[in-house]
Amino acid sequence: MRDPNAIDFWRGLALVTIFINHVPGNTFERYTYSQYGISDAAELFVFLAGWSIGIATRGRDGHPEPRGRTVIRLLSRTIEVYRAQLTVMLLALATIAGTALVLDNPLILEWHNAGTFFADPIQTIVGVALLTHQLGFFNILPLYVVLLGIAPVFVLIARESRTAALVFSGGLYLLSLIEEWNLPSWPGEGDWFFNPLCWQFLLVLGFVLQDWNRESDTLARWSRRLMPAGVALVLFGIALAVLEIRPDPLRVPEPRLLFTFDKTYLTPARLIHFLGVLLAFRAVYGFLAPRIGPVAGYLARLGRNSLAVFSMGSLLSLGGQLLRFWTGGGLLIDLTILCLGLLAMGFTAWFVEWRSRKPRPRV
Amino acid sequence: MALPQTAPPGLRPLLVAALLFAAASARAEEPAPQPVPRPAPTVISPPTSAEAGDASLSPECRVPGSQLYTLAKLRAVKAALKEKRPVRVLSIGGISAGLGASATYPVKLETALERSLPDVDVEVEARGLQGEIASGAAERLRSMVAELEPDLVVWQVGTHDALARVELSAFSDALDDTVRWIKSHDIDVVLVDPQYTASLADDAYYNDVVRTVREIAAREHVPLVQRYEAMRYLAGRADKGEGHMLGRQFRLNDLGLRCMAEHVTRAITLSLLQQEGGSREAPAQQAGQPAPSR
Repeated sequence: MRDPNAIDFWRGLALVTIFINHVPGNTFERYTYSQYGISDAAELFVFLAGWSIGIATRGRDGHPEPRGRTVIRLLSRTIEVYRAQLTVMLLALATIAGTALVLDNPLILEWHNAGTFFADPIQTIVGVALLTHQLGFFNILPLYVVLLGIAPVFVLIARESRTAALVFSGGLYLLSLIEEWNLPSWPGEGDWFFNPLCWQFLLVLGFVLQDWNRESDTLARWSRRLMPAGVALVLFGIALAVLEIRPDPLRVPEPRLLFTFDKTYLTPARLIHFLGVLLAFRAVYGFLAPRIGPVAGYLARLGRNSLAVFSMGSLLSLGGQLLRFWTGGGLLIDLTILCLGLLAMGFTAWFVEWRSRKPRPRV
Repeated sequence: MALPQTAPPGLRPLLVAALLFAAASARAEEPAPQPVPRPAPTVISPPTSAEAGDASLSPECRVPGSQLYTLAKLRAVKAALKEKRPVRVLSIGGISAGLGASATYPVKLETALERSLPDVDVEVEARGLQGEIASGAAERLRSMVAELEPDLVVWQVGTHDALARVELSAFSDALDDTVRWIKSHDIDVVLVDPQYTASLADDAYYNDVVRTVREIAAREHVPLVQRYEAMRYLAGRADKGEGHMLGRQFRLNDLGLRCMAEHVTRAITLSLLQQEGGSREAPAQQAGQPAPSR
């Protein structure tokens, strides 16, 4: 197992933040950084995924692995994430249905888009397999499947020219914003909650920046210099979030997605704010890690096993939501949900690492 | 029937005529799985039939008007009708129309609206709204409205926030802000409050959520489909229907989903008629008043 590092640490923090934010209304929600800016943990998660692809597709000496192997590696990861999404969806739907039965409360079946499944399983099960039917709070993994699926294209282009990859990816991003392109939902109308055509840009950005950072110290130097700008952006974001100031989507000029704070389309304001967050916090891990050893170790362990932890975290936050509903909530319940969730996510990470260390049982 | 009771006496004949027309056109609303009985003549005397089910609805969905809706003006829809252009409706909330229903709720809504507004082209776009309006989903709704620029937003609101047990004041503020925002752009809103189910009948918090939706509809003068009251009424009727394999509450829930398109259509049609009848003296905003039969 690799030692704790900044990437895993931040990814771990993003996982914990997502878990807390996915139990809406709970007391601790207001203490997550997502409440104090324009962008949130989703940006961090996707950016770090891109950064990790850069690390994973090169040897320790920095030489790129053969193209075929990169393609197979990313394909294999795509399948792994797809499998996780199907498992999580099945368990989430079963949890919702089970709770509705136990509490004799059919309203629970309407939980964030689940109603479609229970009313029309014939079409919806096809949608589940195609990833076009998503439950609320369970829409990051479908995005991730698509991003990993198209990642080989960008990785291979970047082997020839990083600029070309960035231009291609940025072009697709801008076009999708201007033309309002998104992948459709089905059954039912509407689009994906996380638009892969836009969010791919952040993944590619993570990948390209990692690549650049490996080759020269220009990026490191510049990000040091630009840190005050990053801090200013973060402060500006806090002010906007606290004062609840945001553009009115019906008053901004066309193409309106260039000006709004839209999460689905990862609009430029969110992207710029996120880059500000990166600049402002880039040195924080080095400062923090020695001082909060066990916490850093815990978060890095979550980050190392992000797929398993994220999947468990999604189900735990659903459980937390239903528990809050059943009991009526309150500080004690919220505290219980938080503690059990953190413990269970930690256990999941430990368990995955334990299992990979042990030889598989021959049964 | 709530409508004529608030109309100035002089306008009553006009309204009754309008109502008759609405009842006649609404009769054809549903594809009607079983033969619908001919419209009962009782519709002619609406003021006294307040407790009887609204006969323009299909039998299984029949609820007295006073328990089904409060009415208010729909200026944008009216303008679209005047300009003879298609009415664009954005339906927000679940799309399910019950287990094994022949069509989804948005499709049913479009069909029902077109039947009750003859010669009008209605385009219903539907979007599920994931998340709670008290924590972020209200922003998403604004984007959807900006994307589609409808004349009317029909918004099933409150269920997700109630299930998450968000703070009541946060829910109330977010709902009020959002309704006001939609209206500020000359777009009409019809609110649909959360469903009734027996296990939540005594849940104070859930009832508060329903009450909040009602209060905001009244404060902002937007029509409200009282799904909660309507379902409670249907639940109280002698239950002669076929059972549901999962129990009575699930059957009732299913019925609520099936009836919703009809109920929403009724509230919209009557809100439009109310405007027509009282354009000068403007019948008092019904939404602000307690329903007469309670």
